[in-house]
Amino acid sequence: ATADLGKDCEDNGERVRNHHKQAFEYISIALRIDEDDKGHKEQAVQWYKKGIAELEKGIALPITGEGEHYERAKRLQAKMTTNLIMAKDRLKLLEKLRTCSNVST
Amino acid sequence: STTTLTTPQNEVESLMHEMADEAGLDLNMELPQGQTGSVGTSVASAEQDELSQRLAKLRDQV
Repeated sequence: ATADLGKDCEDNGERVRNHHKQAFEYISIALRIDEDDKGHKEQAVQWYKKGIAELEKGIALPITGEGEHYERAKRLQAKMTTNLIMAKDRLKLLEKLRTCSNVST
Repeated sequence: STTTLTTPQNEVESLMHEMADEAGLDLNMELPQGQTGSVGTSVASAEQDELSQRLAKLRDQV
């Protein structure tokens, strides 16, 4: 039974990485649009949202256990949390800008 | 603007490939069982760091 439990946690580590991979792809696309002055911020907003959803899924997975393997997974989750907060902040700013520009037109 | 402190993306990418080369890995290759954990997570961490840098650069930028 203990071996099974260990395997479950290991699988979660892999799941975290898979969500990271998806989030990284989505947020990279968002950033590429967002970094371009002429980029369509509306599109960036959509990709940020997809990326944020993946980050949240990855962070929500429980990582229990001791050792290097778990520590790495937990560190990855910590970095994902940082980016979740930053991406949300960016999203908030972009949506505020959008609302403002809608009001002015 | 303050752009001097951030590492260009291509530099980050080439560094990641360098790391992978040293470990004898192809970044696009499926890793053998047992190695996926440590190396995969290291690459993932580096990728998250890259996102942090880019997001930080955009902060307060309209």
